[in-house]
Amino acid sequence: MVLKRLKHFIKSFTLWELLKGLRLTGRVLFDKKSTIQFPDETTPQSARFRGVHALRRYENGEERCIACKLCEAVCPALAITIDSDQREDGSRRTTRYDIDLFKCIYCGMCEESCPVDAIVETGIANYHFEERGENIMTKEKLLAIGDRYEKQIAADRKQDAPYR
Amino acid sequence: MAKIDLLSSEVRAEIDKWIAKYPAEKKRSAVVGALTAVQDAHGGSLTPALMEAVAEYLDLPPIAVLEVASFYTLYDLKPVGQHKIYLCTNVSCMLCGSDQIAEHLKERLGIGFGETTADGKFTLKEVECLAACAGAPMMQVDKTYHENLTRERVDDILAEFD
Amino acid sequence: MINIEIDGKKLSVEPGEMIIEVADKAGIAIPRFCYHKKLSIAANCRMCLVEVENAPKPLPACATPVGEGMKVYTQSEKTIEAQKSVMEFLLINHPLDCPICDQGGECELQDVAMGYGEGVSRFTEGKRTVKDKDIGPLIATELTRCIHCTRCVRFGEEVAGIQELGAVQRGEHMKIATYIEGSVDSELSGNVIDLCPVGALTSKPFRFSARAWEMQQRPTIAPHDGVGSHLYLHVMGNQVKRVVPREAEAINETWIADRDRYSYESLHHADRVTKPLVKQEGVWKETDWSQALEVVAKQLNIIAKNDGADQIGCLASPSATLEEHYLLQKWLRALGCQNIDHRLRKTDFRVKEQAPQSAALPCEFTDVEYYDRFLLIGSYLRKDIPMLNHRVRKAVMLGAEVSVLNPVDYDFNFDVAHALISDVRLLSTQLAGILKALSANAPLFSTLPDYLRQVSPDPAQQAVADSLKAGEKVMLFLGSLALHHPEAGLLKALAEGIAKETSGELAFLHEGANAVGARLAGAMPHVGAAGSALPTPGLDAAAMTHAPRKAYVLHQIEPEWDCAYSAQTLQALEQAEFVVALNTFQSDTMLDYADVILPAAAFTETSGTYVNLAGHWQSFEGAVVPQGEARPAWKILRVLANLHDVEGFDYTASTEVRDELKQQVEESAAQSHEVAGQTDTSSLKSYSASRDNTQQGLVRLTETPLYRTDAFVRRSPALQQTTDNQRTGVRVSRQVAEQYKLDPAHPVTLQQGDYSVSLPWQVDEALPGNHVWTAGVAGLGAPFGAIELTQGKVS
Repeated sequence: MVLKRLKHFIKSFTLWELLKGLRLTGRVLFDKKSTIQFPDETTPQSARFRGVHALRRYENGEERCIACKLCEAVCPALAITIDSDQREDGSRRTTRYDIDLFKCIYCGMCEESCPVDAIVETGIANYHFEERGENIMTKEKLLAIGDRYEKQIAADRKQDAPYR
Repeated sequence: MAKIDLLSSEVRAEIDKWIAKYPAEKKRSAVVGALTAVQDAHGGSLTPALMEAVAEYLDLPPIAVLEVASFYTLYDLKPVGQHKIYLCTNVSCMLCGSDQIAEHLKERLGIGFGETTADGKFTLKEVECLAACAGAPMMQVDKTYHENLTRERVDDILAEFD
Repeated sequence: MINIEIDGKKLSVEPGEMIIEVADKAGIAIPRFCYHKKLSIAANCRMCLVEVENAPKPLPACATPVGEGMKVYTQSEKTIEAQKSVMEFLLINHPLDCPICDQGGECELQDVAMGYGEGVSRFTEGKRTVKDKDIGPLIATELTRCIHCTRCVRFGEEVAGIQELGAVQRGEHMKIATYIEGSVDSELSGNVIDLCPVGALTSKPFRFSARAWEMQQRPTIAPHDGVGSHLYLHVMGNQVKRVVPREAEAINETWIADRDRYSYESLHHADRVTKPLVKQEGVWKETDWSQALEVVAKQLNIIAKNDGADQIGCLASPSATLEEHYLLQKWLRALGCQNIDHRLRKTDFRVKEQAPQSAALPCEFTDVEYYDRFLLIGSYLRKDIPMLNHRVRKAVMLGAEVSVLNPVDYDFNFDVAHALISDVRLLSTQLAGILKALSANAPLFSTLPDYLRQVSPDPAQQAVADSLKAGEKVMLFLGSLALHHPEAGLLKALAEGIAKETSGELAFLHEGANAVGARLAGAMPHVGAAGSALPTPGLDAAAMTHAPRKAYVLHQIEPEWDCAYSAQTLQALEQAEFVVALNTFQSDTMLDYADVILPAAAFTETSGTYVNLAGHWQSFEGAVVPQGEARPAWKILRVLANLHDVEGFDYTASTEVRDELKQQVEESAAQSHEVAGQTDTSSLKSYSASRDNTQQGLVRLTETPLYRTDAFVRRSPALQQTTDNQRTGVRVSRQVAEQYKLDPAHPVTLQQGDYSVSLPWQVDEALPGNHVWTAGVAGLGAPFGAIELTQGKVS
């Protein structure tokens, strides 16, 4: 009992714990850094990452989506709303394709169910909304994302293709 | 109403013969005989107008006549040459060398199967078994069977039409 | 009865039945494509192969009759193997385009492929493709998907009565096609869409607009003819996306007419009224319900007070519901107005209809098939009431003889034994001839005008009489042309006379979905609800036109199309002080004559009841919410009556209205199925006064074509594009065209009294001479009156 008190007295008097802490600091100071400088730096991302959605086009510019509505049917969060009609050339197309990002749980089922690889989830993980209603991704927005990131989307699909 | 006038009295008599073979309410049974008679009387092929005439004559919807006319290879729905050559390429004839005969015919006439020579004389058709396997290879020219064909025999047969 | 066993289940069945029928009844599933219980057996898809004990090979269940002691295995290894093989063959040429196929999700091939199909095809060769054909505005084709079950071909031959589709070519090249580039024009053509087990034939107006799993299925009753076919509405959100038949063996079997299938398209027409409209000093203003209803109540009150309630006239559509008819008459009669009628196209009211009948047919629709002699009087039954025509056709297939008496040689889809094609003015003479041939001194003759008493039957009339006489069960149909004829009363009396002589029965082919109901509900000027007697009769539809009223209540009608005297009715409406129109749609003409337009809900949006020709009270509920501020008409009428402080308008549901009427109908003794011999013959002699015995000059012949019957079909784009609907404009016989030296390049001018219109014309070989055929043309006078025809050269 007495010994324990004495030990505590000496330790506190010599700032032993501070030195112990500084030892760790000193050691980590020269280690490799584990933090990153977001947004200048990003963590590595899997090709299977499921971020915000996009609608893709074929190389000739034709939209892939054929309004089969399988993604709408499979969506567990009921986040997708589609209206379809016959386009002037007689093909089956959507007249409306909305995804509510507040409802979406990013499960990727829409992508799985798509027979033409039209709806995909991109690697985009960082986005925000400023106005009410921006959470609804319309067909135009989704196609725009698809157009802009097509290269990355295609590369990701290619990388994952052997496992599908 | 005017389509039916395309049928001559001889053709009508021929069709009536066929109609008479079947019960009165089964007039449509005569459609094969009727189409054959009409085709023979009109240069060997059927036109939509002729099929409609047959349909009218037999009280059938035109599509029912077209069904039959398009089913049998012996009816031609496109204009044909003066003489029709049906070459059998079914198994017996094939084993006995109908391929060479076909090649020879095509070469000599300068046409492929289903085509008509430029002078409008011959139409060459590939058909299935014509039930003359014993004399394979064989072909039918118009209504005549020619069996045990060789290249020379084919030349002789065609020469008869010159 | 014989005993068989299916999958170990012991069944006692009728000999001659096929295995598949027995299995269906026992609830044992056997996959099939070509078999359909209403069509002949083709046995060409081979999907229903089943193992039968002691049979060397699997047998097609659809074409194998049951036998004593037969043991069938639908789940055995051999069966499954056979079915899987068939499936593999069927899928060889079937495209993998389910995602863009309208049948996807409700496809028989898709379902069976889930059960019997392999995940991977062993077939590496190219698939067969077939060029699609345009077969009209109703049916879309995608023939690459066809599996050659030939259901559509058999439907045309066996049910529609005209084979329009056929299987041309053979083997690998076989395809379903019309003759050359023809369209499919049958009035029942849409049924092939339901029959097609794959997506080869789909609905054109519906194309690509929804998926089977997104829609809810809600039952209703067809609102266009007196059959009242049972329907399912397929609803997505608040929109009716398509209409399909609901099976009802006694009414429409498994079919529906194209009119019932495609009229839903009108529900979203731009003409829909969605807010109450009131005209104030010549300007239309949208308003709210309370204001609009108050205006109506006030205006009608003023007119009733100043000029008498008898100055109000009410014209209601025969396709309005029973509840609406009942509330209309109850409300107006409480105000003291008896002028209410739904018989808008009728022109002869001299012989009053007696107490209303509970049915216009003497039997059920199914029983029609068992009559062996028919006489169709003034009816194009095939286009007027397609599903009833189907029953008559079935009777003909069983050996019945049909005679027709028509002014036009109509194209029926069954064999007509005797066709009397006569001048429309001479229909009564023809009938009198038939009656005379049956019995030269029938008691009826003493009551007839002289010109009918003196007829002597010609051979054609004698032939019809002989045919009817030889029958065991005879039915006479009075079609719309006879009912709207200027001698309708005479025709009815003569038909009754013929029915009496042949021990036959009489059927009335009234127009509209609820003509029988309207009569029961009292929507007639001379009898009240359930046939109750009235102190003073009001004015009928024609009288309300000839003696214009100060105010009109129009219920779901467009007089320019729906009324016999269209031009006169419009004039009467325009000079009236106040016109209120309860309607689903508005039109420029309506904006002209009406003062208030109350938006009434469409047939899909209201609850109600239709009483069909066979007397079935068929109630239905609203399937979708009314558009905009439209309200069910029965509610509008209830509130109007409340505003007039009429007692007994506290209904909270339309079923209460129906039950109130039903009780009255049951209590009333006037009710009877007996229809023959009711005509009051005392007034028949008066017909000689109006008869033009010379038969000189041209006569107008008015017909309401299939797709012009009511406001809904008139606004359905797909129906309007059909070949049937091309029967418009003016048609004349070749004789008239030559006599008047008509130039086909220019329109003709038709004139009836003060009314005249100019229209394009064409020759119709089916018309007798001296007839000018018009399709319910607006702007002319009497529908069967004398007409003048001129053609001024237009520069």
